[in-house]
Amino acid sequence: MVLEQERVIALSDAAQAAGVRPGLRRGGAVMLAPQSQFQQRAPALEADALQAVALALLQYTPQLAQAEEATLLLDVGASLRLFGGIRALCRQVARSVRALGFTGWLGCAPTARGAWLLARSRAGRALKMASLERRLAALPVGLLPPARPCLGWLEGIGCLTVGALYRLPRPGLQRRCGRPLLDMLDDAHGLRPELHEWLRAPASFSAGMELFDRVEHAAALLFGAHRLLLQLTGWLSAHQLAVGRIRLLLEHERGRSAAAPTVIDVLLAQPTWQDAHLVRLLKERLARLQLEAPVIGLRLEAPQVQPMAPLSDSLFPEPGGGKEDWQRLLELLAARLGPENVLQALPSADYRPGQANTWVSIQQKVRPAEARAQLPPDLGNLPRPLWLLARPIPLLMRDHRPYYGSPLRICSTGERIEAGWWGEMHSRDYFMAQGADHAHYWLFKERGEQEPRWYLQGLFA
Amino acid sequence: MTLPETVHPSLWRADQLAQSATRCVDTGFAALSAQLPGGGWPAGTLTDLLVQQHGIGELRLLQPALAALGKRPIVLLHPPHPPQALALAALGIEPSQLLWVRGGARASDALWAAEQILRSGCCGALLLWQQHARGETLRRLHLAAQSGDTLFWMLRPLAAAQEASPAPLRLSLKPAPGGIDIGFVKRRGPLRDAPLFLPLTPALLQRHATPLDRDTPATAPARSLPSALVGG
Repeated sequence: MVLEQERVIALSDAAQAAGVRPGLRRGGAVMLAPQSQFQQRAPALEADALQAVALALLQYTPQLAQAEEATLLLDVGASLRLFGGIRALCRQVARSVRALGFTGWLGCAPTARGAWLLARSRAGRALKMASLERRLAALPVGLLPPARPCLGWLEGIGCLTVGALYRLPRPGLQRRCGRPLLDMLDDAHGLRPELHEWLRAPASFSAGMELFDRVEHAAALLFGAHRLLLQLTGWLSAHQLAVGRIRLLLEHERGRSAAAPTVIDVLLAQPTWQDAHLVRLLKERLARLQLEAPVIGLRLEAPQVQPMAPLSDSLFPEPGGGKEDWQRLLELLAARLGPENVLQALPSADYRPGQANTWVSIQQKVRPAEARAQLPPDLGNLPRPLWLLARPIPLLMRDHRPYYGSPLRICSTGERIEAGWWGEMHSRDYFMAQGADHAHYWLFKERGEQEPRWYLQGLFA
Repeated sequence: MTLPETVHPSLWRADQLAQSATRCVDTGFAALSAQLPGGGWPAGTLTDLLVQQHGIGELRLLQPALAALGKRPIVLLHPPHPPQALALAALGIEPSQLLWVRGGARASDALWAAEQILRSGCCGALLLWQQHARGETLRRLHLAAQSGDTLFWMLRPLAAAQEASPAPLRLSLKPAPGGIDIGFVKRRGPLRDAPLFLPLTPALLQRHATPLDRDTPATAPARSLPSALVGG
């Protein structure tokens, strides 16, 4: 239950069932529903919430204004085609508001004031002027803020709806109720041009939120992070920017056990301005994270932005997705498995097979031509196994033959590799061998020792 | 009388190979392609390869199909040993095409990665090595594979041949002298018990092999050659 000046102004369904009604005093409410929680109305938090919703909705139109009584006005005339029509747009707006964790009423009309009235009366859409006038005529007169002081008089003359009010003689109405009421009625009927002060998005992005509880599991933070990301997408589309790096700060408890916020840095190979990919990346990062202390707040920053470069849709899309899809896949894999587990080949020009076969993390930029240049020119003449063991396995000797599961039969001439005097010196003779299981192995004999020792280095898959 | 195979593409008689509904990539071995429905490796389905042990020539078997992919990426997911880019380059696969993904800390990470790769559909081929896989994960991977046209091979131990699998094509690979024996565990076509022998020696072996290991050439009996060839 929310109280303002000791009177109930908002309440939950359970309190409603217990008999509490808006406007009741605190004492009465406590008597009817003793187990309910009481909160004081906080105008600052409400303004923050409205600002958050406004920021998130900026992705649908740049023309967004705040109106009276916690309402946002969106001029979507220019956005209809992009978002696939008014119905699809309404659905998306409603989904965004729900994802932010708020409930709202959506009204939609040819005039801003008409849409405002419809939203305030919890009614839906009126797309034509005629249908809007029909809908307006049935609305109660108390919805109009300037009419509220003279509500008693209007009731006394039997004028209960906006339609009846609109039919009253204008000079008399202006004398009794003032000019603002007439202006508002004209606005709603489209007889007067409306002027709005469009919301300007802040120059840099940093949005925070407080959590309702102390959160100890990182995965549970995703919902809050999603809300912040929605605001980020709105801000990005308002400024026509794409984000290259985001930073999520997990704020821990202040006070005696104060700890610096945990920072999650997400670096993107391809700047983006849509939240779906960012949500997936953050989800994997949060799933890997072990929290050291409970989290009480979240803050999202976008330290690296650049102008948005929208994709040009090709007439004949390539099968198997574009380069962006591939980059996204790599980022996703690296986010969950760790960048050290997603590797690309970077062969280096070295005689020693272990050193020649280098794999580096996918986050390192490697040009394909560079990698190819490192390959030896007589590639086809080098016997190299497909699997190279990470560490050579010393082999047993039986009857003067190396033995690995079965006696190995050498079936090629040797290849001598002597290199690495500057570091790890190799002096080896490499042979291909075949076991009794008909699989091919790559062995080497360490040279320079009294007794030759054999090692298994690879498998010809 | 109309033949059943002309009534509907997914009908075939027990002694025929099915027509494949998906695109198939030629295996590069005529003897093997002739035994597979659609004449090659099916794209966008789960293909089970059951290997007796690693390193018997499983990648040489897939090499023609992998080399035919052109520039599309090839993912090696959770391989048993570190792959060598040099050897793969010798097989005609560019180093820039390759992506080696090691499994993460958890066993389910590799399966998760396989699903993401298949769903994204931007890879040409995915090779997944797994020891154990449960029926529902296989079904899930098969479904994910159907959303794209990635060539998807799952390499598992031979013991897994006893378990059920939703894969429409399951082959068992065993080493044999000079090649591998391919057994048809499951295919859309007639049952075949005898394994198919495919000669697969490493190409370099012939060049580097010592004469001792080669079959000695048949000696020509005297006077069997025309005198013009002998060159008196």
